[in-house]
Amino acid sequence: MIPRFPVSKTPGISGESMEIDGDPFHHSEAVPKILEADVELSRHRISVFLSTHTAYELLPESGKVVALDVTLPVKQAFHILYEQGISVAPLWDHDVSRFVGILSPLDFILILRELGSHGSDMAEEELETHAISAWKEGKLQLTRKFDGNGSLHPRRLIDAGPHDSLKDVALKLLQNKVATVPIITHDGSVPQLLHLASLTGVLKCICRHFKHSPASLPILQQPICSIPLGTWVPKIGESNGRPFAMLRPNASLSDALSLLVQAEVSAVPIVDDNDSLLDIYCRSDITALAKDRAYAQIHLNELSIHQALQLTQEASATYGFFNGQRCHMCLRSDPLHKVMDRLAIPGVRRLVIVEAGSKRVEGIISLTDLFRFLLG
Amino acid sequence: MNNSRGQDQETPVVAGFEVPRSPDASYNNVYTASEDDGRDPPVVPQHLQHTVLSYPANRGPAAPLPDPQHVVLNHLYIENREAPRSVVALGFSHRFRAKYVNVVLYKPVQRRGSNSA
Repeated sequence: MIPRFPVSKTPGISGESMEIDGDPFHHSEAVPKILEADVELSRHRISVFLSTHTAYELLPESGKVVALDVTLPVKQAFHILYEQGISVAPLWDHDVSRFVGILSPLDFILILRELGSHGSDMAEEELETHAISAWKEGKLQLTRKFDGNGSLHPRRLIDAGPHDSLKDVALKLLQNKVATVPIITHDGSVPQLLHLASLTGVLKCICRHFKHSPASLPILQQPICSIPLGTWVPKIGESNGRPFAMLRPNASLSDALSLLVQAEVSAVPIVDDNDSLLDIYCRSDITALAKDRAYAQIHLNELSIHQALQLTQEASATYGFFNGQRCHMCLRSDPLHKVMDRLAIPGVRRLVIVEAGSKRVEGIISLTDLFRFLLG
Repeated sequence: MNNSRGQDQETPVVAGFEVPRSPDASYNNVYTASEDDGRDPPVVPQHLQHTVLSYPANRGPAAPLPDPQHVVLNHLYIENREAPRSVVALGFSHRFRAKYVNVVLYKPVQRRGSNSA
């Protein structure tokens, strides 16, 4: 449901589950109305585009993909991802000759937390002998999901084929709540890994296609504060939707990891005492703990976020990876097309909405938020 | 050699018509392949060195991965790391329709003398 009037200060908006609070709307500045017809037209055009183009378009002209054998010990996997500057890798099982899953930063966070509770003396030794397959088995036990009949649902690999439509790929990413879907072709005798698809790639296709005809998507010119998109910091006195998670730089890393796991967010803004944005800690930053085997030497609750972020910066300097800017920001008055162009940059999964000048955090818009809105 | 045995088993032997054994001298030929063993194997063609697989996966949008040369496609490469190592990287470049895919798989190295899992 889209309101006829902008709801610039209502908290906890994401996608369609929006609540309109009973108070009359307060706007301190004039905000243009967003027309429902514009939204529907834009959504329709994007849907048509996504349905008529395939995942093959996501592949770069020459791309490199890294996969891990599922019998590798977790420790080696951690180091490989760190050295290669990647955050996810599909898992290959030689016995069944196919890809069986994905190793992602969330796996490392869960492993480190579990080991942390047992004491860090065992940490390195366990990581060295614990194979990825054993970890995934154990994780399944931990997070068992039962379907209606009470039987167990093993997590199967969520993948897509190169001839699947972009719309199917985007829906798969959204519905399964994953950041990456491997594109695998089953043409030959053995499944071939072609590419790791994410919403970033799909958005880049959309932006490239509509770049020369901005009028065909009327909502692109609207400022993001007028669109029910993203998670906003609640103002004092207003009822909260979702609580907005932020941390200070001296908070412990284990607090940050708990937030990343329990709040099911992929990044936490790091702010100073005035709620001004300093940096951001994402799930994928966990691989920086492989530097000098930091994970084995320090308790997670003794490491502050500030120190953990320094490790990440050193990592990108050592390996010369493209890291670009860490925190990508935007203003509430920025038009949607500017937000989309920024989110289409590889590696950027969310933008922090800040107040001009003071850089006070006002909200976050993630790729997932954007796609849930665009796909309706 | 096999023929004489075969004859013994399948056909009845008539006295006086047994197949004579080959003279021992005919079995004393020197193994002639030893000269070849002394030589090095043929050198790997130089053009195979131009692989794209050692480039990092994450180079940023300003520096996309170059196209692999067509001569290196569909050749299996192994990473050149000093031993001892517990992980080995295998990779190859192939073409999918009009695009190139460079795949690298990291596998654990089986230690000598251990039971295979």
